[in-house]
Amino acid sequence: MALQRDNLWYKDAVIYQLHVRTFCDSNADGIGDFAGLTRRLDYLQGLGITAIWLLPFYPSPLRDDGYDIADYTSVHSSYGTLDDFKTFLEAAHSRGIRVIIEMVLNHTSDQHPWFKESRSSRDNPKRDWYVWSETDTGYQGVPIVFVDTETSNWAWDPISKSYYWHRFFSHQPDLNYDNPAVFEAVWDVMKFWLDIGVDGFRLDAVAFLVEREGTLCENLPETHAVIREIRKRLDISYPSTMLLAEANQWPADVRAYFGDGDEFHAAFHFPLMPRMFMAVKLEDRKPIIEILEQTPEIPETAQWFIFLRNHDELTLEMVTDIERDYMYDEYATDKTMRINRGIRRRLAPMMNNDRRRIELLNGLLMSMPGTPIVYYGDEIAMGDNIYLGDRNGVRTPMQWNSSLNAGFSSADPERLYAPVISNAVYGYQAVNVDAQTRSEHSLLLWMKSLIKVRNAFRVFGRGTMQFLTPSNHRVLAYVRQFEGQTVLVVNNLSNSAQAVELDVQRYKGYVPIEMFGRNLFPRFGNLPYLLTLGPYQFYWFQLRRL
Amino acid sequence: MNVGEVDLLVGVSSRDAADTITHALGAIEQSFQQYFVRQRVVIVVVGSGDKDKRDGILEAASSAPSTRNPRQPGITSLRTIHRVTADFSSPPPPGVALRTVLAAADLLRARACAVLPPAANLSPSAVANLLKPAYHENFDFVAPLYKRHKFQGLLARNLLYPMSRAVFGCSIRELYSDEWGFSGRLASLCLNQDVWQEEAIRARPEAWMAISAIASDLRCCQTYLGEKSQPPTVAGSDIVEVLRQTVGNLFWCLEGNQSLWLDSQRSQEVPTFGPAHELTSETTELDPHRMFEMFRSGVTELEPILTVVLDPDTLVEIKNIVALPEGQFRFRPDLWVRTVYDFASSYHHAVINRAHLVQAFAPFYRGMTNSFLIEHSDSSPAEMEAASEMLCAEFELQKPYLRERWKANVEVKS
Repeated sequence: MALQRDNLWYKDAVIYQLHVRTFCDSNADGIGDFAGLTRRLDYLQGLGITAIWLLPFYPSPLRDDGYDIADYTSVHSSYGTLDDFKTFLEAAHSRGIRVIIEMVLNHTSDQHPWFKESRSSRDNPKRDWYVWSETDTGYQGVPIVFVDTETSNWAWDPISKSYYWHRFFSHQPDLNYDNPAVFEAVWDVMKFWLDIGVDGFRLDAVAFLVEREGTLCENLPETHAVIREIRKRLDISYPSTMLLAEANQWPADVRAYFGDGDEFHAAFHFPLMPRMFMAVKLEDRKPIIEILEQTPEIPETAQWFIFLRNHDELTLEMVTDIERDYMYDEYATDKTMRINRGIRRRLAPMMNNDRRRIELLNGLLMSMPGTPIVYYGDEIAMGDNIYLGDRNGVRTPMQWNSSLNAGFSSADPERLYAPVISNAVYGYQAVNVDAQTRSEHSLLLWMKSLIKVRNAFRVFGRGTMQFLTPSNHRVLAYVRQFEGQTVLVVNNLSNSAQAVELDVQRYKGYVPIEMFGRNLFPRFGNLPYLLTLGPYQFYWFQLRRL
Repeated sequence: MNVGEVDLLVGVSSRDAADTITHALGAIEQSFQQYFVRQRVVIVVVGSGDKDKRDGILEAASSAPSTRNPRQPGITSLRTIHRVTADFSSPPPPGVALRTVLAAADLLRARACAVLPPAANLSPSAVANLLKPAYHENFDFVAPLYKRHKFQGLLARNLLYPMSRAVFGCSIRELYSDEWGFSGRLASLCLNQDVWQEEAIRARPEAWMAISAIASDLRCCQTYLGEKSQPPTVAGSDIVEVLRQTVGNLFWCLEGNQSLWLDSQRSQEVPTFGPAHELTSETTELDPHRMFEMFRSGVTELEPILTVVLDPDTLVEIKNIVALPEGQFRFRPDLWVRTVYDFASSYHHAVINRAHLVQAFAPFYRGMTNSFLIEHSDSSPAEMEAASEMLCAEFELQKPYLRERWKANVEVKS
């Protein structure tokens, strides 16, 4: 199954996010690797996903989970070799699966050769590749991102006896994009991976590329100019490559990163995610409708990427204080579950392993406007380990079967990069791919059918969205339309049965076809259309004139 | 009504209040947004038919609250604030409107409720203060307390409060008000009582609701609201009508709850949230002289009726004070209490038509008010409070007299 030729492939994609370390260990060293991941590609193909987003796999001191890159053109030895990556990429492509990799443009590790050279002397040719200063007083007022660990955005370098700028950890010096050589070096890195065949980049921390005195050093026009230049070169030489922006900001602010269709192809819709969780807990559609109604239009070729959970904490940056308190009280009662401004838990534990709510949230994820991202393990309702520190509790080994180390590795359990989940509810003995493959009603098989339906209709990835506003606020209903396809989605956000009358006058005469069983429901007529839904139930109807 | 279970329910009667309903709804909504951001809430607007439709009241009432910008950090409700309208063909009496609100509360399993007037000065904090005790503290009836001019609310100060306190053992100052809070439990209890056709309930249901709570050993409290809400139409201009709706209603409540007070001695602490009471003492335009004249002429004109209503000794004393020159006139507390109790027991025995009986009480109320205004023209709030406590004690002291008169065999005049 070869890749389809379509430059807008990211609009129809279902993305699976994973870290190679977590997925499958082929050489019994306790750490997942590309060879192991390649072996598991059949599983991912069977799941129906069409793209993999890989977390950083570059050589790195791993002081920031790989986002501190020490070499942009190689693979961390724990994960294999560059050839292993190439083999994996080819195998993925042969299964119709595209691969998106991480690219950290804003900063490098302080172990990167560029920085080592830069700090080695003030006369070094690479001195201006980073942002140096004699004092630590520049760019006053710029917020510190990691307030728990950093006290300043400047760090003292004892070697060159001056300060360097870092928006993130002090071991991650910011690159200086005012130096054209830096841009060219970074472009060379991107070209390296593009020539190997990757299909897209997730650009980390894009808002912070350029610094200017008197500003917050975020979202500056000069930063957009850098992005536009990358996009221009991509469009010329690699037109089917996608750029995905990581900018944890309000949609109206992220909108600028789409430009006029000449910057990013895609960006995360961060505020939608916590509101899906809120809506289900509140049993009220209000949070979802509010945020989507205030999401600006984006260029024709652009796309929002949406998700439920990922490798980081469930970020609560894009909510009000009241909403954050509510989320904490409802989803992170144990303070150990909280980190930074978010919640370090996986989907299933947050839903108290309630299958109905897990399904509903996945149903929302797959039917809302945007490209959905499934975080590895969530398709089988994997649990977490909040006692592992940082966000490592949601990065435990994938649970393949009930054998040693959940089938992830044949190494001694003590050697694993992280312990497998082994509690009574979410432990690998109970929750694993093998068991769920054999169970007709497993979440895994349900997810397969969900993704299959989504993949069969482009309307989900490309369609417009119009909310219906029935008086029952516990029901979230919307119509998605694209070219000839019309889909009605009706979700019961509550824990109790609901009746809803939908105003579908506009679709009078249409027949709603339930999309999972292809069952015909009564034709829409003059009256409001009555539906009843069980707790957390949802319907997807294809609307057709028959 | 597709709202589902709610935590809070607020009922508001539109009462043709085209000018003020929008403000009132806004204040209620704002209260939810400021004080109850997480709760499931609904506003039930009891409308009065065609006129409300014509005035756009129902339309305003049922329109969805405006959406907010989620990135703005202002305080706001996390959930949908529902508005439901109950449309009547003609303006429903307060009891009917209340029954509608209670039915909604029962249906939606509301935990805490409030009934509010469509007042132009309704404040979000007042709405919250009525709801909080029921929602957070599990109180079942929440009576309001106000900041008042020292000569405002004299009927409550000199009769309704001390009498109800003495009889029912529950010191609720504002038993008769346009606004109060209650629990869902009390709503269900009241809804299922077979009283809704009674005229007294249809006209003024609030005291009955409070007494129902007391009778069922439910918890009552008071909460400070600040300035009293000013409904668009004030029914207080006709004193006879006011007496009928309050004093007559209280007498009716006495009768309906005899088991509560006649042979038993109950008392319930009524905690207060916020300041216990607040009095102001700006100048007033009340005319004591006119009241005295109306008292004197009323007693003279009504003497044939009063011989039936009042105990002979009471009547003699009344005649004595009527004969005094205005400057020397004073309605002594003991005589006032005895007069009130005579009227109450005569109401019970229906010695004359009850409506006429309440009407005949008006001169006495005027006389008492005259006496009060003169006596307390220079009193400080503290002195007023002390006098009020003394009057309460007098009502308590003479409660056996009321019981005795109540139980007496009385010949009813046709």
